[in-house]
Amino acid sequence: MVDIVPLSSYPSYIDLLPSIQTCNITNLPENYFLKYYLYHALTWPQLSFVAVVRPRNGYPDGKIAGSYPKVVGYVLAKMEEEPTDGVQHGHITSLSVMRTHRRLGIAERLMRMSQRAMAESHRAQFVSLHVRVSNKAALHLYRDTLGFQVDSVESKYYADGEDAYAMRMDLSPMWIDWAEIERKDRARHAKDEKDADEGDEVGELGKKEDEKEKEKMVRVKVGRSLGVGDLVEKNEVQTA
Amino acid sequence: MPQQLSSKDASLFRQVVRHYENKQYKKGIKTADQVLRKNPTHGDTLAMKALIMSNQGEQQEAFALAKEALKNDMKSHICWHVYGLLYRAEKNYEEAIKAYRFALRIEPDSQPIQRDLALLQMQMRDYQGYIQSRSSMLQARPAFRQNWTALAIAHHLSGDLEEAEKVLTTYEETLKSPPPLSDMEHSEATLYKNMIIAESGNLEKALEHLEANGYRCSDVLAVMEMKADYLLRLDKKEEAAAAYTALLERNPENSLYYDCLIKAKGISSDDHKALKELYDSWAEKNPRGDAPCRIPLDFLEGDDFKQAADVYLQRMIKKGVPSLFANIKLLYTNPSKRDTVQELVEGYVSNPQSNGSTDGDNTEFLSSAYYFLAQHYNYHLSRDLSKALQNVDKALELSPKAVEYQMTKARVWKHYGNFEKAAEEMEKARQMDEKDRHINSKAAKYQLRNNQNDKGLENMSKFTRNETFGGALGDLHEMQCVWYLTEDGEAYLRQKKLGLALKRFHAVYNIFDVWHEDQFDFHSFSLRKGMIRAYVDMVRWEDRLREHPFYARAALSAVKTYILLHDQPDLALGPLPEVNGTDGDDAERKKALKKAKKEQQRLEKLEQEKREAARKALANPKSADGEVKKEDPDPLGNRLAETQKPLEEALKFLTPLLEHCPKNIEAQCLGFEVHLRRGKYALALKCLTAAHSIDASNPTLHVQLLQFRQALNKLAEPLPAQVAEVVDTEFEALLPKGQNLDEWNKSFLSANENSIPHKHAYLTCQQLLKPDTKAENEKELTATLDADIVSLETALAGLDLLGDWGSNQNTKTAYAEKASSKWPEASTFRLN
Repeated sequence: MVDIVPLSSYPSYIDLLPSIQTCNITNLPENYFLKYYLYHALTWPQLSFVAVVRPRNGYPDGKIAGSYPKVVGYVLAKMEEEPTDGVQHGHITSLSVMRTHRRLGIAERLMRMSQRAMAESHRAQFVSLHVRVSNKAALHLYRDTLGFQVDSVESKYYADGEDAYAMRMDLSPMWIDWAEIERKDRARHAKDEKDADEGDEVGELGKKEDEKEKEKMVRVKVGRSLGVGDLVEKNEVQTA
Repeated sequence: MPQQLSSKDASLFRQVVRHYENKQYKKGIKTADQVLRKNPTHGDTLAMKALIMSNQGEQQEAFALAKEALKNDMKSHICWHVYGLLYRAEKNYEEAIKAYRFALRIEPDSQPIQRDLALLQMQMRDYQGYIQSRSSMLQARPAFRQNWTALAIAHHLSGDLEEAEKVLTTYEETLKSPPPLSDMEHSEATLYKNMIIAESGNLEKALEHLEANGYRCSDVLAVMEMKADYLLRLDKKEEAAAAYTALLERNPENSLYYDCLIKAKGISSDDHKALKELYDSWAEKNPRGDAPCRIPLDFLEGDDFKQAADVYLQRMIKKGVPSLFANIKLLYTNPSKRDTVQELVEGYVSNPQSNGSTDGDNTEFLSSAYYFLAQHYNYHLSRDLSKALQNVDKALELSPKAVEYQMTKARVWKHYGNFEKAAEEMEKARQMDEKDRHINSKAAKYQLRNNQNDKGLENMSKFTRNETFGGALGDLHEMQCVWYLTEDGEAYLRQKKLGLALKRFHAVYNIFDVWHEDQFDFHSFSLRKGMIRAYVDMVRWEDRLREHPFYARAALSAVKTYILLHDQPDLALGPLPEVNGTDGDDAERKKALKKAKKEQQRLEKLEQEKREAARKALANPKSADGEVKKEDPDPLGNRLAETQKPLEEALKFLTPLLEHCPKNIEAQCLGFEVHLRRGKYALALKCLTAAHSIDASNPTLHVQLLQFRQALNKLAEPLPAQVAEVVDTEFEALLPKGQNLDEWNKSFLSANENSIPHKHAYLTCQQLLKPDTKAENEKELTATLDADIVSLETALAGLDLLGDWGSNQNTKTAYAEKASSKWPEASTFRLN
């Protein structure tokens, strides 16, 4: 039986990463270093999910961590870091289910979990992905089952020269009512205010300093070899 | 002595730094040389030049230059900083930390040095040092949230949860109003604090904190999971049940949620009716789901089981779910369930009209049922390989394009012990869908199992980026394809090509090193991203990285290879014809060695030519990451195999294995073999004790206990008094000195009557105790082939045993022939 679990949220199943990498390189021609998986798991821990085979008699001590079950599928997802049009959106980096475990709806379930997290955690407007034009099964899943639409055809997207459909799907129906949460926030704050002292400005100052520091962080590279940043760019090219 | 630069040279020096930062290394070197022409002893410039050279891969020259720089300017923080960076590049973190500390003493306020030091302290898990560094970084910039979080992490990981929580709270209290909902850094910091509270054991407080703050956290699923977990652990049953119900509504395909819900509802594991009702209600809500339909088959019995299984099987066969059998076979430890399943599915194929699949064409239903039966008869608990073949052929007749069916056919041949035929059948499956990498990987794997390394690689190369440095194999290394490297190495090990075997196992070892190194960048990156829980989980995972079964498997094989090299050093030259104890004479051995040496030289030359050709074809020997790759001076692993200290080399693999996989009995047994050969009796005994506590009746352990007793009896010189005392007392608990060994061995046999591996162990001990009983033991060993319970794998192990005993060729042939007549399809007993 196959269980669908988050990759790196709570509890953490991050020790599944090597098996996820194996699942990927067994099934797909587009492969990545483990560090690229780590980069996803540590930047958007809410968005990636794994399908594992439940062992006979369940997991030892009821825990998946440390028991290294077989990984038969995964979805590796991210948020677009600097969307050109400024619209927050998610992106499916890689999705795969072992062909021995098809027709169970695993890919669909993985996708829906990831999409929901994109909407809830990151307020993603939509999710995008690429699919080989020849991949009928995947196209069926994305378009007919999940409701994606073809946005454009990207010529020679894959390393072997095949074209890709660039697809996307609106996620706004999955948004939660943040206004309601903000109302709750204000009500609670008003209550706290009554018995609160005057705070100093640290918070605000901190924010500004933060921005400056971020810029600086990008420039200062003394002593670091290949940074995560370098890796990201490179892998984008590699996927393309 | 520090040297003042002219203003022109000073500006040139600044350019050097800029070139370095922009990775314009050639320009950097050129500009540095310009400065050095007038100021040949300028320390900082020499240091910068060294740093650039190190980034260009000229490590040795860089070190020499950095030392010169230091000699010229001992008081320059740049020189010390660079010195540290060079050590860091060499992964000599301890020396790097020392150099950074010197640099920091000269320039205490330097943020870059402080940060580089802190990163290394984290990498080295020097938590006390990290706390210190983080404290001073916080003091320098207290307005910066990351610095508070980082200090909290330092305390948390060092085990001081209280202090960690306090640091986070102190920062929170400076916030005038809660940051906006979209502030994910704040949201994650809140959940991180909650995690610390929960880890401190105060679940009440954690729950309270989560109730108060969770509603505004962005990781909605995590908040739900944490809440459900705390509630259940706090035994707040009703609320816990509600929490797990909510989780199941999001994701009904997670069996852990059902387990917890049942616990929360207090349903007893015997109350099958209540359990079934619960699962049925979820199945109704998710008609396309699997878990709530499948799980009840685990606990239902008798007619209830039969009925539920019938519904489940028919539904899945109709859907053509290829993993159905994989999902059902877990039930087979219960023989009556196994028989019921067999009866049901046999019924579907013998009388297809009697089930619900009569609407028109039922070809698909039938072929999927035959496919199920093929896998059923192929499985070790319900094996009948000829029936398996019949069924898979029927399935293929109905659906000739089904790749999975053809894959099962290959698997049947594997179980027949015919790897050649298995590889052929899997290759046919591959040809049925050449665009699918999964079947391609399987075909390559089966070729490797058949010791066809070249063919396997050729198949793999259909999906690798072959323009990479080193071609397909280079790409598989670069993409960290651990499964392939391990299988490839094991195939070489079987062929006694130990150099290549070691080469692959070392490659896997190095990949684990890279994975460990991968965390380094995240020590700073994750602080910027603010996803602290995931980061902390990653740090903890890295600490137990090598407990992964991928590591254990490669390490076990590597240790076996080194033991083989120690026992038969001639194998360093390549595979040699088997020399039988007394049969082989010295002249023959020398002849064989000479031949092997020649063959090795021929292969080396061939490899060199291949590379030469590849180099010409590839003008630019760069890998995907633009790094200049150095040519591997030992592509065939010959230098590895030539080692004079194979047992010491084995420790490189063995030590982490024993540390991280102490419950792996095979690891303990191999550890014993290595330490015994090294004459390290205390360590050998430690492995025996560990193995004994895992499985006291393990057959390998049984033999090793006797070997250890005999080794102690035969010591050339007595053990040092202290060691002797420890060894004597501890070993007394495993195999007492006064024990009659003959009786001990016999009682082992009678306690494990129904196991051939135990019989093997018994016979080996007989052999050790009374070497003159060899003929008898050989006879008894051959007789084990008559037993119904003997498996093909065990029979093969028996053949190896004859090799270990130094039995003569006739005995081996007789054994193999007998086995061959029992398993006529098997190729493994064919003698070359």
